[in-house]
Amino acid sequence: MTAGWDAAPTCDAAGDCITCGDVAVPLTVVDVFGPDARCRDAAGREESVATELIGPVFPGQRLLVHAGVAISRLDDDRAAGRAGAEEDR
Amino acid sequence: MKFVDEFRDAGLAEAVGARITELCEPGRHYKIMEVCGGHTHTIYRYGVQDHLPDSVELVHGPGCPVCVIPMGRVDDGIAIAGRDGVILTCFGDMMRVPGGDGSFLDANAAGADIRMVYSPLDALRIARQNPDREVVFYAIGFETTAPSTALTVLRAKAVGITNFSVFCNHVTIIPAIKAILDSPDLRLDAFIGPGHVSTVIGCRPYDFIAREHGKPLVCAGFEPLDLLQSIYMIMKQLADGRSVVENQYSRVVPWDGNPVALRVLADVFALRPFFEWRGLGSISQSALQLSDRYADFDAERRFAVPGVRVADPKACQCGEVLKGVLKPWECKVFGTACTPETPIGTCMVSSEGACAAYYTFGQYAKQRIHLEV
Repeated sequence: MTAGWDAAPTCDAAGDCITCGDVAVPLTVVDVFGPDARCRDAAGREESVATELIGPVFPGQRLLVHAGVAISRLDDDRAAGRAGAEEDR
Repeated sequence: MKFVDEFRDAGLAEAVGARITELCEPGRHYKIMEVCGGHTHTIYRYGVQDHLPDSVELVHGPGCPVCVIPMGRVDDGIAIAGRDGVILTCFGDMMRVPGGDGSFLDANAAGADIRMVYSPLDALRIARQNPDREVVFYAIGFETTAPSTALTVLRAKAVGITNFSVFCNHVTIIPAIKAILDSPDLRLDAFIGPGHVSTVIGCRPYDFIAREHGKPLVCAGFEPLDLLQSIYMIMKQLADGRSVVENQYSRVVPWDGNPVALRVLADVFALRPFFEWRGLGSISQSALQLSDRYADFDAERRFAVPGVRVADPKACQCGEVLKGVLKPWECKVFGTACTPETPIGTCMVSSEGACAAYYTFGQYAKQRIHLEV
């Protein structure tokens, strides 16, 4: 996963690549900047997420994110199970 | 850990496994295909098969995006990367996929500028930062990933970036399932449907599997108990003589998918008449290309590519593995000539590939079997 806000892209060819599989991660919106949102995962890592495909978002909302793009909204109960799973990957 | 233990509780897994066993008809063998590479990874990583009776066999499907890329398309990417001024960008797993003449990593070592990105939006950022270079995004993936490529093209067009294009290899899951259903090699009883692809396309596109082919399909999450529960739901349908589409992953997957993403996909992409899948051959209307409205961003129209079909190495049996005809360890080069460090076939490249997943985790299951013997 991208290490931080506007950090250089990272994707480990030798290990898991969350983009290449059918893998998406739940992230929490921290700030909104136009069509993008700064989002944070359960481990505190942040990344920029495009939100056009799910409409307006607000701080505190949880999103399902794949390849830097939000593909679905999640309520807390939905997201929590997946969030923990990603921590271990 | 909160919200994780519930999905990995060994006692619950054992209980669900016992319920699945109760549903088995004596003397019958059940074959259930998990379509998604992420599910394959979970099955091996957590030993899901160990909780199932011997009569329930999990068959691994073609849902690993890099695994189905034919070698000729890798060579096309290398050809583009070899042109003066081009920066080719791709997801990490693509770097090691062997083409007919080496991998992207080999091409990089030979002087090409090929960079890994986490998102196609990162490729667009590289294009902005390098206005004097041509930046090409090598797009792969199913409907989970295709929306991110489509959104990137929309953004590129909106801000007038002209040095960015997409070499599109996006594929769609439904034609691949149809091809498997039509394959004479394989008899399947049911499918575990892909979780996050279904977040985009919803559950309705699978209806034909239940209605026309009489096979249950359950969309499933990625935790071990998600998979076991989905197998239980499938076995219950089979025991009841039903075949419908069900959604075990309802905490994430909306029944109707993401309508905005579907509209964007329909706008930016068009179906290719044919596309070659590794292992499955040429499948009609199974892949995406940029629509005429976005032709300016189509790398295949911008650059001449060889477009040559390259046969898989003779020793490689990825095709049979992708169709579920062979188990990974039944391939004659598995774990010897073909390892994650020196992959011959695509299934050994990605961690979502059946061979790589089994190589990494499945050996422990095999050790257990040997101990029992």
